[in-house]
Amino acid sequence: MAKEEKHSVIGHPMPRVDARAKVTGRAKYAADIELPDMLWGKIKRSPYAHARILNIDTSKAERLPGVKAVTTGKDFGGFRWGWIGTTRDEEPLAVTKVRYMYEGVAAVAAIDEDIAEEACELIEVEYEPLPGLFDPFEAMKEGALLVHEDRPGNITTEYHWNFGDVEKAFAESYLVREDNFKTPRMAKGYIEPPAIVAYWPDTDHLTVWIAKGSPYFPYRILARCFNLPLNKVRVIQPFIGADFGGTKNDMVNGDFAAPMLAKKTGKPVKIVYTQFEELATCLRRHPVWITIKTGVTKDGILNAIQTRLVADGGAYTRMSPLSLYLMGCCMTLPYKLPNFKTDAYCIFTNNPSSAAMRGHGIYHTRFAADVQMDMIAEELGIDPVEIRLRNAIENPEPGEIYHTVNKLTVGSCGVKECIEKVAQAINWQERKEAEKIDGYLAHGVGVAAGAYLSGARLTGHNAAAAVVRICEDGTVNLLTGASDVGQGSDTIMSAIVAEVLGLELKDVEIKRVDTDYTPADPGSFGSRVTVYAGDATKRAAEDAKRQLLKFAAKEFGIKPEAMDIKDKKAFVKADHSKSIPWLKLVKLACYTTPGNVIIGKGVSTRGVGQVPNWETGEEDVGANYSFTAEANEVEVDLETGVVKCTDNSVIAHDCGFPLNPPAVETQVQGGAYHQGVAAALYEEFKMDNGLTTNPNLVDYTRPRAYEAPMTKVIHVITNDPFGPFGAKEASEGSCCTAPPAVINAIHDATGIWIKELPAQPEKVFWALKQL
Amino acid sequence: MREFEYFAPKTVKEALSLLSQYEEEAEIIAGGQSLLVIMRQGLFTPKYLIDVKGISALDYINRDEGKGLRIGALTIHRAIEKSPIIQRHFKVLSEMEGNLATIQTRNWGTIGGNLCHGDPAGDPAPVFIALMAKLKLASLGQERIMEVEEFSKDYLEVALEPNEMLVEIQVPTPPPNTGTAYEKLTVMKGDMGIVGAAVSITLSSEDGVCKDARIALSNASSIPLRVREAERQLIGKVLNDDLLAEAGQVASEEAETTSDVHGSAEYRREMVKVFVRRAARKALERARAG
Amino acid sequence: MNGELKELKLTINGKPYELKVKPQALLVDVLRKNLRLTGTKQGCLTSSCGACTIVIDGKAVKSCSILALQANGHEVTTIEGLADGDKLHPIQEAFIEHGAVECGFCTPGRVMSAKALLDENPNPTREEIREAMQSNLCADEGYVKYIEAVEIVVKKTQGGS
Repeated sequence: MAKEEKHSVIGHPMPRVDARAKVTGRAKYAADIELPDMLWGKIKRSPYAHARILNIDTSKAERLPGVKAVTTGKDFGGFRWGWIGTTRDEEPLAVTKVRYMYEGVAAVAAIDEDIAEEACELIEVEYEPLPGLFDPFEAMKEGALLVHEDRPGNITTEYHWNFGDVEKAFAESYLVREDNFKTPRMAKGYIEPPAIVAYWPDTDHLTVWIAKGSPYFPYRILARCFNLPLNKVRVIQPFIGADFGGTKNDMVNGDFAAPMLAKKTGKPVKIVYTQFEELATCLRRHPVWITIKTGVTKDGILNAIQTRLVADGGAYTRMSPLSLYLMGCCMTLPYKLPNFKTDAYCIFTNNPSSAAMRGHGIYHTRFAADVQMDMIAEELGIDPVEIRLRNAIENPEPGEIYHTVNKLTVGSCGVKECIEKVAQAINWQERKEAEKIDGYLAHGVGVAAGAYLSGARLTGHNAAAAVVRICEDGTVNLLTGASDVGQGSDTIMSAIVAEVLGLELKDVEIKRVDTDYTPADPGSFGSRVTVYAGDATKRAAEDAKRQLLKFAAKEFGIKPEAMDIKDKKAFVKADHSKSIPWLKLVKLACYTTPGNVIIGKGVSTRGVGQVPNWETGEEDVGANYSFTAEANEVEVDLETGVVKCTDNSVIAHDCGFPLNPPAVETQVQGGAYHQGVAAALYEEFKMDNGLTTNPNLVDYTRPRAYEAPMTKVIHVITNDPFGPFGAKEASEGSCCTAPPAVINAIHDATGIWIKELPAQPEKVFWALKQL
Repeated sequence: MREFEYFAPKTVKEALSLLSQYEEEAEIIAGGQSLLVIMRQGLFTPKYLIDVKGISALDYINRDEGKGLRIGALTIHRAIEKSPIIQRHFKVLSEMEGNLATIQTRNWGTIGGNLCHGDPAGDPAPVFIALMAKLKLASLGQERIMEVEEFSKDYLEVALEPNEMLVEIQVPTPPPNTGTAYEKLTVMKGDMGIVGAAVSITLSSEDGVCKDARIALSNASSIPLRVREAERQLIGKVLNDDLLAEAGQVASEEAETTSDVHGSAEYRREMVKVFVRRAARKALERARAG
Repeated sequence: MNGELKELKLTINGKPYELKVKPQALLVDVLRKNLRLTGTKQGCLTSSCGACTIVIDGKAVKSCSILALQANGHEVTTIEGLADGDKLHPIQEAFIEHGAVECGFCTPGRVMSAKALLDENPNPTREEIREAMQSNLCADEGYVKYIEAVEIVVKKTQGGS
């Protein structure tokens, strides 16, 4: 009941701690960093998607006045890197072979950007062009040429999982449907292109400012690349102009070239990608060909789903093993599914590499499954809302757990409530029955539901930590490796500390990531920050509080456990009139006994421990699971095929407990629009033999304000047992429900099914013609 | 961006002297909203860049019943959109400008710059063609008048001599009972049209027969394309929706559409039908309203 | 002579500046590189993202689509010139209070677009607000809070009408 009242900071709307720096333009992003004597770097890129490099002649470039250094892949001494130890298949700059269009082969540092660019043109590279593989189905064929000579069959990664008995379940089903769907290559969407400033304060010490959502990725990778101990690599995180996975999370050529050029010249080197470089080469959302076969009872209850997925992974492995894992394992949410089988393949091609993107993995299969659910509902004559309610996983009673067939552990599930609330808010019945067509415009409504994991559970360095330092004037410093890329985690972490220590938000100062000072943390991906870093931060604040309460308890001659802190007072739980003001307590702790510097430490190991079984597809992939339902209304121009979302748009999101409600709202609205509606209606990289033919924001159409629906957000509160203060993720789930909701709405309006995203006008137009 | 030599003349005469001096080696920049995109990509670098944006004498909008409307070539799009004169007498121009790119672009980009860029996807040219507008081109000591329809030669190529610049757009006062409209297909407000159609219809005040019709398309050829066969479907007839659709059909046959990332040639052809009909319907309504 | 630096005189945030720039320098480059006014961002260089939006003579424009020399003699306002010391502009306040800030990269451009809009039209409709920021691409929030934040400023300055 009235959970909010239990808390004095979290759960209440709070302005972001970094908002002032951002609205005044004072927030420094990587490209804003400037050091004395700084040089500008540029990357020389391959004009071939697949070619052997026979020779690189840099002499002319080196002679150009203003050029200070040139580097090629050979300078890196055979270093290769990858997402994990077993996937190290990429070089900082290609040495013997390029595998995708515009792959970097050399780099230049010069006194200004124009000269660096001119010098790149003077580098002469001799190539032996090779035939390219651009279609994963071609690449899978027996005898196809190989993108990587040591990777037979061009298979990046594959999974074959089987839960229950799908064959038997299909045989027993009243209706079995098989459909094919396809998702497109998509840009991640951040406006800030990749950027780095690197310099060597000493010959054995590297410092970089880098626009990455996960600063500890470059920290570890650059240490290995330059053969440095970790304590000599300093990665400082500037403000980040968003990161939805991919290029802003993972390394790019420039991230290696800048430190190498800085090492060669002894000067700071800055490389800022242009939006063209970003869009032409970036890690993009996997295009996936999905075959989905579903069996249901006469009442529309799911008996079994079988999927076959083929994803184009592009030239290098990158994070594809996780992408494919997520595409598979989360099919068992948010509906009860007793039997499930999947065969998933990620294939190497000579397209730019694919990688994680907001809504990672789940977006693809949720799109297919939730559109197919409407197809099934239509065949069976069941209302789309009703069929979802019948199949939705129930919210477990407190203390109970729901286990999916692949052993995902669900401690809270508000999906039913989400579906009911969006249906009500959008006036579902009324809208369904309303007249659809008015002149050449048709209106329709669609609904979809989904789930997303909070925090990918991974092996290795997935633990998160925080340090809370109590300053002697009563203020607090918070050090965490968690990185705020715009989602608002700096505010959440600060609020957690304020909540635990009974302070106000303004009393806590959070430091941005600096690997010289902040504790290691994997970074911002997989919706992990609130649940893991939040847990660590809570523990660190509690540790500091425990230390402080010892001093308070001494004053009253009782045990520390008998006291608590709230509203800037430490008080005796049994008698609130016995209390010590916060400042007095801090001074007591800091000054009375020698050496009492209060430093709280917290570590979260929720993300480590039991990790998924990559062979069988079992076990938890997240710490907990958020649930979402979305209902959208669309307007379809029947003569042109142009589809718009109207302002009649609602999302209900179960993030357990919203720690900062407006931040949850912007995350949910943004995910639904930018990576959701955009995926449904607008965005797709068009390709021509490995070349991205729309590598600019004019031809790669991104949704804007005029077309943005004023999406309402409904918070569904379930207080998850596994999240800090009951919280679950709030940024990715809505990306996954928007596409099926929009596609289902188009069907409601017009009767057409769009099975290949996006529903761009021309596609809709021809589909309407075929009706 | 590559280097060039830069001049910022303050008068038309100064600009024309520079042009006559450097001719082919010179390029004029006005608002530069299109030119700089090309230059930044290294696709084009002039030796001499003549920046005419500061010539305030070419920033004007005036009108009289006899001469019609006169727009200085360096008038920004936003000024045309917001001009009370234009909103009152040439609503179609204001509407067209209101959907041309975004306010930020309209605040710096000029009407003359747009026309001289010669992009067939540009919105102003077909509307001016429908309005029977003319252009005043000046070179040192000389001036000539040209129909807007004659101005575009090929993709990004216009009929300016190397020593010439566009100084004024002249739009005659339309005959009575004339209605003009422009409609384009966009996915996002402010996009370049995937195709667009400007239609002007003049009705006879006596019997309501279509006395004159002008139809011009954007992004349906390498130039802003006037479709005369389609116009002929309307002239001399009492118009109805079927005839407008017929004009759309004929226009789509006249169009020389090509494919790009925004749509195939076939789709564009289909859209020419739709947008000619939509613009014609609106133009007809306006003509009937007088 | 090619490559010769040209004199540029302009007013930025109320302060006169005289500097020498390359003819091909874009206004955004001069602001960011020469004058270190890095609040103005550079996102796309194709005039499509609006992160570089500034105000010239009261009108919002994209500083990536203007040669620096074209701003000669003009009055430029950048995000750095909006607050009066510690006192933020009402638009900045509303952005903070209403949670219309996420990663912040597009924020300066949006604030400038909103400022130009409200200076010209203190009582815009929702459609007009949307139109004014059609040029400002955002990547992470769905524009809803932004539009509402501008509406809040309108309400406050219009005396709650």
